[in-house]
Formats: sequence, C-alpha cells, structure tokens
Amino acid sequence: MSSQNKLGLLKRHEANGDLNRPLPGPMMRHAADLAADEAISPLDERVIAAASEAMEAGQTHYVDVPGIGPLREKIAAYLNESTGSACQAGNIIVTAGQQESRFLTIQKIGELYESIAVPDVVHPGARKALGVRQRQIVSLPADAEGRYLPTLAGLAAAVRGGCRLLYLESPSRLTGAAYSAAEVAEIGKILSDNNAAAIWDQGLAPWVDGACSSLAAQESAPARVAAIGETWPGQGLASWFIAYIAAPEDWAPTMQSQKQIMAICTATASQYAALEAGDLFAEARERQLAQLKRQRDALLDQARSRQLEVCGGGASNIIALKTVGGADGAVDRLRRAGYEAADGAHFGAANVIRLSVGSGTEAALEALS
Amino acid sequence: MSKKQDQGTNLLYRLIGEARTYDDVIVMGRGDPDFDTPAHIVAAAKEAMIHHHADHAPPEGLPALREAIAERVKRVNNIDVDPATEVVVTNGGQEALFLMVLAVIAPGDEMIVPEPNYNTYADSLAFAGGVKVEVQTWPNDAFRADPDLVRAAISERSRALLLVSPNNPAASVISPADTAELLDIASENDLMILSDEIYDLFVYDDFVHTSPAALPGGKERTLTLNALSKAYSMTGWRLGWIVGPADLMARVAELKAAISGGASVISQHAGIAALTGPQEPVEMMAEAYRKRRRLVLDALDAMGMKYGLPQGGQFVFADIGFTGLDSAEVAQRMLTEQHVLAYPGSAFSKDRKDYLRMTFLQPEDQLIEGLERMKTAMGSIMAGQ
Ligand SMILES: Cc1ncc(COP(=O)(O)O)c(C=O)c1O
Repeated sequence: MSSQNKLGLLKRHEANGDLNRPLPGPMMRHAADLAADEAISPLDERVIAAASEAMEAGQTHYVDVPGIGPLREKIAAYLNESTGSACQAGNIIVTAGQQESRFLTIQKIGELYESIAVPDVVHPGARKALGVRQRQIVSLPADAEGRYLPTLAGLAAAVRGGCRLLYLESPSRLTGAAYSAAEVAEIGKILSDNNAAAIWDQGLAPWVDGACSSLAAQESAPARVAAIGETWPGQGLASWFIAYIAAPEDWAPTMQSQKQIMAICTATASQYAALEAGDLFAEARERQLAQLKRQRDALLDQARSRQLEVCGGGASNIIALKTVGGADGAVDRLRRAGYEAADGAHFGAANVIRLSVGSGTEAALEALS
Repeated sequence: MSKKQDQGTNLLYRLIGEARTYDDVIVMGRGDPDFDTPAHIVAAAKEAMIHHHADHAPPEGLPALREAIAERVKRVNNIDVDPATEVVVTNGGQEALFLMVLAVIAPGDEMIVPEPNYNTYADSLAFAGGVKVEVQTWPNDAFRADPDLVRAAISERSRALLLVSPNNPAASVISPADTAELLDIASENDLMILSDEIYDLFVYDDFVHTSPAALPGGKERTLTLNALSKAYSMTGWRLGWIVGPADLMARVAELKAAISGGASVISQHAGIAALTGPQEPVEMMAEAYRKRRRLVLDALDAMGMKYGLPQGGQFVFADIGFTGLDSAEVAQRMLTEQHVLAYPGSAFSKDRKDYLRMTFLQPEDQLIEGLERMKTAMGSIMAGQ
C-alpha cells in the first residue's frame, strides 16, 4: 500500500528548487572535466607521510568538535597573515569541507537574524544550504559590469530595508571577480553603520594575483563577519573534504554545537593531512598562482581571438564566459566534444559557463567557438 | 554557560573538558572504543592516499563503497538494497541520523521516541522544527519499548517512529516479535521508521537483533542507519550510511549534498577495506566487550546497584536513585573527587536524573580501577560527605 505520508514528503522535497540544485563536484575527475570546484592537484609525499604517521600513532578516534588544536592555530595564523584579520584558534572551526562551512554559517548564523540577503548569482551550494530549512531570503542583484558580484547599492538597500545578514562571495565562485579594497571598505561601512553582519566566502582569494581584500579584516566591521574557505586549495585535498569557518567568538559556540549534532568532528586523517598541507601551501602558492595566471592569460588571448566573451576575472583558477543563447546550449556542445563545464544557470546566471583553468581548457575553448 | 544551565550535549562536553585536566582520569563516558582501528584498514587508507586521493567523490559516496554496504546490510541485516540508488554514505552515523530526521520531519511533525535515547535525536528534531513524543522505557522491563505505549502515543501529526536497537544509553534490544509489531503499528498508521542499528554487531546472551527493513513491507517505510565507528573502532574516520527505498534515498542524497557535499575519499577507501576485508578484528573486539560487560555487571551487583540488563551495545544504564542526588551532581562528584567519568542520565533525558551511563570501552584493568573509584565515590556520597 502506498504511503500518503511518504508521498507528501517526497512532494515537499520535489518542490524545493533550492535544495535540489545540482552541485559542482569537489575535484576534477580528469583533464576534460572543467566543471568541478577545484583542479586535480597531486598530493605531496609529505602529506601522505604526515597523515599515515598520525593514523599509525592511533589518531583514529574522535577529536574535538571544532578541530585539532594545531590545525586551528595554523588556519588562524594563515588568515591573519594573508588577509590581515586578527583570528585566534578559538575563532576557527574545522569543517568537513566548504559545503559544511556554508551550511553551518548560513543555518546557524542565519538563526540569529530574521532574514538573509543572498546574491542572485552565487555558488549553488549556498542555495542548497538555504533550501534545507525555510528562511526569509532577500535578493542581492548582480552588477551590470559582468562581474556578477552584488552591487553595493543593492547591498545597501537590503541592509537599509532591514535585512541584517548578508551572504557574500569575493571572489565570485562563478566568475572569479573580487571586490576592490575600496569596495570592501564600503561594504564594511554599510555593515557597521547598520549594525549588520556578513558571511564572507573567500575560498578563491588565494588565486587572485595581488591583494584580495577580506571583509573579515575590515576595521570598521571586525566583529560581525564569519569568513569561510577551503583548507587548503590546490594541495590535492578537495576530495578529503576539509575547510574552515573563522567566526567571532560569540558566534562560534552555536556552530560548534550544530557541528557536534551533525558530524561530531571532521575526519581525523583529513585534519592531519591538512596540517601538513598548510606548510606546503605556503611554499607552493606563489608558484602555483604564477603558473595559473600564465595559463589564464593565454586562454584570455585565445578567447578574444575566437570572439568569446570573457566575464569577471581576478581568480586565476577559473575562466567564465558569456554564452549566446543560454549556458545550456554551450554546456551541451562542450559535453558532446567531451568536456564538462559548470553551468551558470545553477549559480543564477543563465548565460554564463565556468571552466577550470587547466590542461584541457584550451581545447575546450576551441570546441566552443 | 554556567554549570546550572548546561544540559544535554553541552553538559557532556563540559564534563569531557574537565576530565581532560586530570592525568589519571578513567573515562567510562564517551562512546569511543579504546581499540585503535585495525591495521589492515589503516594500510588501505595509506594505499588510497597514494592511488586514490583525487577520486571523484559524489555526495552519495564511492560506488565501490556503496556496493560493499549493500552486501553488508544483506549479509548482516537481510535488507535488500540497490547500491546505485538505495545507499548514501555519510560523515559517520551522526550525519546519517541528522539526515534521516531532516528527510522525514517538517516543522510541527511528531516523531515517537522511546526514552531514554541518544540525545542527538532530540537536537536534530529541534533543528528540523519537529516535536518529540516520548514513550518511556524502564529498567525493570529491560528498557523495552512497549508497542501498546507506542500505539497510544500516535496522533494526527505523527510522522515517524524512532527505533535505536541496540539502544544508547539503555542497551536494550528490540525483540523480533516487538519489531514485527512495531512495524505493523507503523504500517497501520502510515509512519516512517528511522532505524538506528549502529550497535547491531554487539548483541549479548541469547538476544537477537532484527532490522525492520528486512521484514515484509518494512523497507518501503524504513530508513536504516549504520556506521563503521563502533564496530571497527573507526570513530575518527567519520563514516556511516543510510539505506532505504530509492524514492526517499534520492531526497536523502540531496540533503547530504546540501549539508556537507560528500565524505572523505580516504575514509571511504578505509571503509571498503573494513567491510570487505577480514572480520576477525570485529569478532575479537566483540569478545572483549562481552567479557568487560560481565565484569561491570558483577561490580555493579556487588555495589547493589540496579540496572536494565544490557542486551546489546556498549553501555550500562544504572539506577543511582538511592543516592537521592541528581545524576549530574553524582557524575560531577565522581569526576572531581575520584577522576572517573560516567555520563549523567539527565544528559539523555530530563526524566532520567536517577541514572548514570557507563561504557565498557576501556581495557579491563582500567575498568576495574574505575569501578573501584566509583564505589569509593558512592560511599562518600552515601555517608553524606
Ligand atoms: C545510537 C547512536 N547513533 C549514532 C551515533 C553516531 O556515531 P558516529 O557518528 O560516531 O558514527 C552514536 C554515537 O555514539 C550512537 O550512539
């Protein structure tokens, strides 16, 4: 006999467009998979050695909910050095990947506010996290310059309209475009003038050449920003699911207890691997960034010569293109040629596709034009 | 948070924090087996770091792991599932539990929960906006969830029935006859069943564990949770699963993607090794728990303490009503005065202030020492000191 109860809950789920939005994979599967959030990176022997050593020494048990102490310290030190924030280990929660960071911040900080303002164009993971539990959502329109970042005017209007919590990405997870230092200062001012707060996804910031301002480091609004990002990008750990939340001290407990409720802690081996990868990241980032930038610059030339319209820019690990006749067609065309691209429609920009910068991107652009 | 205010999970974490400050502490609190993960599983994880660190990890889990899980639930639980559509891998049993609750409970929906029970269910229900309807169980009845009481608890808003067997903290195992009757009740009243079977490999004496999803008509309305944490001593790997009917599991997979995106590929490869490799380590650990359980029960008998006979799992839930004190206070005094940590019943249920939960997840010599210290603490409490 069919269950009305089950039918009812399936219907409810079916209707939840935010929850059912497709999510890009964490790491590219192969050179022609340009849709994932992160490129394939080799795993350094030192990471393998560190994680193995920890496991063999009996680090196979539960650890503290917010993460192992040394990793929290390392993340805090890294953020302070790279963004100018003033974090301590107590501000850091180690999460089981960037999606868990999104979920915990959106849901738990979200609980403290009546509504949350979310960019019209945002990583589908943010919409998915919002879809788990009904919230009042205020829309932040994207700029007309093709960066697909929310306009400051829209942002100010949302805050003045009474919405006190913003979810922002800089760089944009779709286009890689980041707010300038002046814009970040302006956002900080809007927040502090209106006693508002923000969740700030800065996961792509390491791939920006030059400074990439963090809202979490703004003097005008230091107390009310939770920053999130991967730990650490480009080190081959994407499929190990490990990321961070850096939050004001009074926000941390609510997220920690939710983390306990839904996961107890982050996988111990991933944490020891990340501890070692932090050092490698510091050593390798400049070189990786220079290489990505060179590759991306060449791709930009190629795109121009093929009359493809590039949008955004800033983060060197991705390239976003405007498509004629919607992203669907372009994604399908690429798929037929053997390439996967991230569909901008899932981010909220129907005429954009996102490609990872890698060895297969040049050929993908060729297939596209 | 002040000592007075904290309760439930927060209370437990405060006690764990204090326990850490004592060098000679004996921990009979947290459900974390003392055995390290078996060596062949650690070796498989190392191997995976070299060859599989970048494996594509879909939210629902690696296909090879889902196959191993499908094979395991067939072999152990007699549940038939299609690995492609009816298995979702999770970050431990804890995430599985959270997802199961989110999958079936909307704001205002009621879930029937035999009490006492694992406290995270109440936390997850609160997150989902659901309402917990309690059915009490007692030690003189070996903490049996009486089907008649379950029936009486059903209302128009009832959506799900939680069955944790073997239970944490009560250590009861739902009998095959009761499982069948509870499934009938669920079917008659159109309830979903959430079945937490994380301790299913630890069943004592002649008790028998039955999976409701294995019974006729059971699978369609049951989500079944399990994890590698307890059985393989893999608590730090964060690996568990849910199995259930394909239509509902598609929703569970969406929720899994929404809350954490996926599970570590290294843990997943370790999980494949655990499920498909030699099972002797599990047997060895189960045998150790059997012996330790006897040891604890003998010591409690000698102290004249009452408890529900642990039919399964890794705990004893003992009645300390004779002290006349709240269990939070007793646990606090045991910890501060004797450096032995047991969990107060009040952390599991507001109505269980008269109970202490003890684990037998420590080496025998430690258990003996811990029980001796507990006796001393009880002595000083009873002497009114
Ligand atoms: C009944 C029950 N379910 C689920 C869990 C979660 O276990 P884990 O997330 O470590 O697999 C526990 C842990 O103690 C438990 O006792």
